[in-house]
Order: sequence, then structure tokens, then C-alpha cells
Amino acid sequence: MESKRPIKVLIAKPGLDGHDRGAKVVALGLRDEGMEVIYSGLRQTPEKIVQAAVQEDVDVVGLSCLSGAHKYLFSEVVCQLKEHGKGDTLVICGGIIPEKDIPMLKETGISEVFGPGTSVKKIAQFIRENVKESSLAGD
Amino acid sequence: MTVQKIREKRAQWEEKILKPALDRFNLQESPNKFYTPAEIEGFNFLEKVGFPGEYPFTAGVYPVYPYAAGTRGGGAIQAAPGLRRAGRYSGYGAPEDTRDYYKRMAELGAKMGPNLAMDLPTQCGFDSDNPNIRGEVGKVGVAIDTLRDFEVIYEAFQGERDLDKIASNFTINAPANIIVSMYLALAEKRGIPWSKLRGTPQNDILKEFIARGTYIFPPGPSMRMFRDSLVFFTKNLPGMNVTSIGGYHIREAGATREQDLAFSMAIGMEYLKCGVDAGLNIDDFAPKFTFNAFGGSMELFKEVAFQRAARRMWARILREKFKSVKPRSQLLRQPGGAHIGRTSTTKQRPLNNLTRSIVGAVASAFSGSPPNASPPYDEPLGLGWSLEAIQLSEDAGRILQYEAKLTEVMDPLAGSYYVEALTDEIEEAAWSELEKIEAMGGAVAAIENGYMQREIARSAYEQQKRIEKGEDLIVGLNCFTGENEIEVMVNRAVPHPYDEQKREEAEELQIANLKEVKRTRDNRTVNRLLQELKVAAGKEEVNLFPYFIECVRAYVTEQEMCDVLREVFGEYEPSENL
Repeated sequence: MESKRPIKVLIAKPGLDGHDRGAKVVALGLRDEGMEVIYSGLRQTPEKIVQAAVQEDVDVVGLSCLSGAHKYLFSEVVCQLKEHGKGDTLVICGGIIPEKDIPMLKETGISEVFGPGTSVKKIAQFIRENVKESSLAGD
Repeated sequence: MTVQKIREKRAQWEEKILKPALDRFNLQESPNKFYTPAEIEGFNFLEKVGFPGEYPFTAGVYPVYPYAAGTRGGGAIQAAPGLRRAGRYSGYGAPEDTRDYYKRMAELGAKMGPNLAMDLPTQCGFDSDNPNIRGEVGKVGVAIDTLRDFEVIYEAFQGERDLDKIASNFTINAPANIIVSMYLALAEKRGIPWSKLRGTPQNDILKEFIARGTYIFPPGPSMRMFRDSLVFFTKNLPGMNVTSIGGYHIREAGATREQDLAFSMAIGMEYLKCGVDAGLNIDDFAPKFTFNAFGGSMELFKEVAFQRAARRMWARILREKFKSVKPRSQLLRQPGGAHIGRTSTTKQRPLNNLTRSIVGAVASAFSGSPPNASPPYDEPLGLGWSLEAIQLSEDAGRILQYEAKLTEVMDPLAGSYYVEALTDEIEEAAWSELEKIEAMGGAVAAIENGYMQREIARSAYEQQKRIEKGEDLIVGLNCFTGENEIEVMVNRAVPHPYDEQKREEAEELQIANLKEVKRTRDNRTVNRLLQELKVAAGKEEVNLFPYFIECVRAYVTEQEMCDVLREVFGEYEPSENL
């Protein structure tokens, strides 16, 4: 167990939405939970996010969107991760996501949707329980 | 009764009355505070508060509440506009969808001009056919690419509601000068002189770098765009405001109350300096400044004090730092006032958000603005409010005004030892933060070096930690969540009048619209005008407004203009070190 490296997370803002409070708070919180966190900054295309995920070889991608464009943008990220051989990446998301969109997002491969009011602790716990064990073996 | 006597009496009271009570409850310190004249020693009413409509405007910027005029007789009820939906921030889909929405609102009795919400591609300077922005067209607002789109939207505003009879608000920042140029070109086509136009573009680019995020160019060239608008408006558009500054966006992004006030004032000062540096007289342009509604928390008394402190501070800045002599220049004018934050609302048991919003409405009434209960309770459930939620929100404000009569007295908490002490405290904290920013070189410097962005993110995270530790309590979220509490489901049977289907189809429709514009316009003229714009953009002293108007008339697209500017100005690259 001691040889495990820290879980590596990319928190990303796909699309043009500028509401980054949630993304930044989650990034800072997961860092305090002992994870290695990269924050993408605003206005990332799905291509750029996937490129960063591949390059940094992250275990988790966390997507945040409050502009209503989540259905298209989140699914694109998941599809392109698969195309790049990163289909085992744990993808989670948050933002203003209507309840009715959640089944569709989960079907595309988003593992969990964390809405307003979620504690960072809960997100961290979910990540620890669901991140692929094999990817964390010490190297 | 001297302050000294009160202090002696307090010491006795603490010993003889308070202490035994604390001992009985086994408390180290009191959970409650009590304020006396000793906490506002030397309080000078005329200096600190004054009369409504008089310097320093603590009691209010007007001698009467404009919104309360004529609300006493039965006639006022007749004139009451019913749901004020048309004045609301609205717009979605393709221009056709927004036009139809405004037409429907007119059928329901709306008399006001539009407060146009634009989609993110428009706000960020991208056309609807740009492949990099797929999924965003028409989502958070209406898509606007060319003058053609303004022509379509404003088909809903003719005759009784023509451009010289309404005010238009545009929530647009980085490309504000281009969007306003579209409005001017449209007025021209209708034969309406620019001098008759009324309205307000948000045009507050500096806060976009620290909250909201719809910047395009770096801060320096962004300020040049602001200067162009300031000079052009002052000379040509007597009925239009130049800017709607800051306010709740900065707080929503995470800033504390004091940071919000200091940052907003620092940004306002940067705009004022810009006008003075451009050779304008302060009293010729400062009256064209407005502020967005300040607010953002559930702490009623602190929000009241914030409003009072903000009015006093802006007036002092204008008079003392900028030597303004016209009272009109010194008014902190806001369309709304205190309110809770969008971040104060919870997705858990969402009807509680109505209760929350009413606390904000009371704060608003107590600090000189209409008792608007905002946002509607379903804010955190998704984009767009249901009509039921809007109805309850409107009714809450009406109940507070007409039944509870909260707006009968102006600045009703003036002279309260507690509220006066709080007002001083907030203002002092904001001044000291403002001085720090001034020492860095002002708001632009504090944005360029990342100070404001870092401070806001830090404050947001501190608040989150307090919530997770249970130091800040939120009902239904981190307390009162036991199994004896029941989930209250809400029925949103009357959806917002936006047509979801049309919103989904807007991208395709607008791409076709744009294609048709590009096919039918004179593309040689377009290329020539873009070349001229580029040359002019390269000369710092040139005002680009006339160039934008020329381009707009020839149906040059927003992105074509922005791309030319991107080449000359560069693009803003935020540093994302957390």
C-alpha cells in the first residue's frame, strides 16, 4: 500500500462557461485530500482536455459546466478518452446539471454527477473507492 | 449621558447581570452581542448619514424611492405592470426565438425594453458557425452574429415600443462596443436619432478577469476599448449609460463582502481614471456610470450595512479623489439592491430558497431598493426558472411592499447603534483593501499580477471549508438532514416560456442564418472595412467606435471584427496557478 502514488486528477472546464468557483474549490479541496491536482483553466475544448489527460496520464477527470452545454461537451470528453485508449479514466462531473440529464450522462460513461452542495470529502471518498486500483501501483 | 458612563455601566452589567447568566448556561462567552452609543462614539448624523438624495447618500441616492412613486392610490394598482418578465434578463436560441419570446411577453402586457441575455459565443467573440464552440449556441442567451440578428430580435419592438420609447440593456462586456454599434445601426435604419436612445451595456470588462470569465483581450487593450466607449458615449449618446459595474458577480465567485466592495470600487476608479486621462471632465461622464446589484449573502444586517457603506464610499471617491462637484456624478445607481447569493440557494429542499430570497428582499427594502425576492426558488435546479417560481418571487416582493409596508420609511435602520457600527466597519475594511490595491497600481495591476483572482479563490475555498466543518450552517445541507426531516418535492408544472426544442435546434438554424448573410452581403466591402479596422486598431489613440459602426452596417460578423482585434491586441491568457 505504501508504494502507491497519489491519485492524479485533472479538473477541467469544457466550453466557454466562466463560472469557475466550484472547479477551483474542488481542485483545492482534492489537493488537501492528498491528491495531485491539475486545473485546466477556462475555455477548454474536449480535444484539449483529453490531450491533457493523456499527457499527464491522470486517473480521474472532473468536468464542471454551468452553461447548459454539458450534454454535448461531457459526452465528447468521454468518447475521445476512449478513442485515445484512456477509457479506464474515472470521469466525474459537477455544475448545474438538471436531474433529467443525469441518466443520459451516466449512460455515456460519466461515473457520478455531483450537484450543488456536495462536500469535497464526499467527492474524494468516491474517487478513492472507484479509481482503478491497477493504475495506482507504484512506479 | 456620556460614553464614559455607558462604558462603566456596561462593565457593571457584564459583571452583575451577564456573567451569572453565562455561568448558569455554562458558557465562556456570550452568543449574543449588544450595541450601545459607545460603539459609535462621536457619531455625526449629517456627516455619516445625511438626508436621502444628499451627500454622502448613505440614506439613499434619491429623495424618494423611484419605484415607490404613486403606489398609494388605487390607480397604482391599475398601473402595476403585472409580472415584470420583459424587464428580466432574457433571451435564448436563435434571434427568431428571442423575438417570439418578447412578442409573447408583450401580449401578456410587458411594456419595457429588453434586458438581453446573449449566448457565450457572442460574449466571447465567436460566431455561431465556429466549430470550436459547438454545443453553446443559444444556450445561456440569444446568438448574435451580425446586424441581421438585431433586426430580427427588435421586430418585437416597434410602434409603441420603438427604440426611442424603450430602454435596452445588454449583458455584454468584451465585445460591448460592437454590440452597441449594432443597436446604433439599427436605430439609423429606423430613422431614430442616436440622441433618443436609452439603455445600458454591462461593459464592465475588468470584473470578467476575476469573475464570470467572458474576457477576450488582455486588460490593457480591454481598457482601450472601454475608453473608446466612454468617449463615444459622452459625445454622442446622452441617454445611454456607459457601464454597469461589478456587484454580485465578484461575490458569487467567492469574494468576501469586504473584498467585493473594495474590488468593485477599485474597478470603478480605474474606469473613472480612464475618462479623466482621455481628457473628459469628471462630471460630464461619471453620471453615466451605474452599478449592478450588490448582494450575495443571507446575513441581513450586514447586507444592509454593505449597501449604505457602498453608497458612502462611491460618493467619497467621486468627491474627494476625483473632485466631482455635481451630486449626480456621486450617486451609486443600481437597478436592484441587496439580495441573497445564487450561492446561498440549495438544491436540497429547494422551496426553502423562497424563504431565503425573502430575507434578501427584506435587506433590500431596509437599504433603499425594491424588495425583490431573487432568485426564484428553483435557481439551482437548472437553466431557466419555472413560471410558478417567478410568480412566487414577484408576489413575495409585492407582499413585503404592499402588505408589510416595508418601504414606507427610508433608511429605517439609520441611527441603530449596531447598523451604524457595521456600516463603518465594512467601509473601513474596504478602504484598507482598496489602499492595498492602489499601492499595487490599481485594479488593472491587481488583475495582471493575479492578486484579485487568487484572493477570490482563497475566500471561496475558506467558505467551503467552514461549511464542511459545520462552522457555517445551511439548513437541509449540513444540518437538519436527519431521517425525521422530509424531502419537500416541488412541482414545476408551468415551465419557463422558452421553447426547449427551439433551444436545441438553435445552433443549426443560426448557422444557416449566418451562411445566408455571408452569401448576400458585399464581401469586397467587408474585407476592405476589416483592413481599415486593423490599421486603426494598431493606433492606440484612435477611437474604434466609428469603425465598428461601419463594419456593422456592412454585416461584418462579430467574430470577423474580434479576430482582427485578436491579431492586434492579442488574447488574454490567465495564469491558473491555484
